Amino acid sequence: MSFREKSAWIALLAYGGVFGAYFVALWRSWDPAIGQPLSIGLLVAAMVGFVIIVTALTIIAALLNPTAANAPADEREKLIDLKAERAASYTLSVGVLLSMTGLLMGFNGFLIANVLLASLVAAELVKAGWQIASFRMGA
Amino acid sequence: MPIENEIRRLRFENGEMTQAALAEKVGVTRQTIIAIEQNKYAPSLEAAFKIADAFSVPLESVFHWKKD
Repeated sequence: MSFREKSAWIALLAYGGVFGAYFVALWRSWDPAIGQPLSIGLLVAAMVGFVIIVTALTIIAALLNPTAANAPADEREKLIDLKAERAASYTLSVGVLLSMTGLLMGFNGFLIANVLLASLVAAELVKAGWQIASFRMGA
Repeated sequence: MPIENEIRRLRFENGEMTQAALAEKVGVTRQTIIAIEQNKYAPSLEAAFKIADAFSVPLESVFHWKKD
């Protein structure tokens, strides 16, 4: 498995695990009256946890194969990255359109912010998933 | 993939050159050499020339266009 495929797995697991837990916790604790302050605490915890997990796992992956970690992406890896970014951008666009619709319909601003966050996370999951599938299929 | 190649045979004829050794000569990852060898990825012209150069053969001895 190449270093970049490992990085994609790390992103997939970190985004899925940390923000999956964040959205589940948010769903369970959501209360329009007190939900917002609680959500900010949850969000800060999720972001700190995400950074720690990604940093730790990336350092471990780099230590296991420092040569590959320092090597620049080759042409196939760059092409896979570009295609994955394109798929992620479509996902993000859908989320932005949903958020705009929500705003126009008068939904709570904090809810809209979380829909946007969910869109960002979904886009990153699509990107990592696309990269992994491409690396696995040899494309 | 309409482009086929002779990389596996050429590696064999060059002292069973490993995919990793070829990857290092071409400047790509071993996974990319595997993908090219299995006709799953068509390399850029530059990488194709580098592969041919690694075997000291002309480009057409490595890659063939398969007409439908």
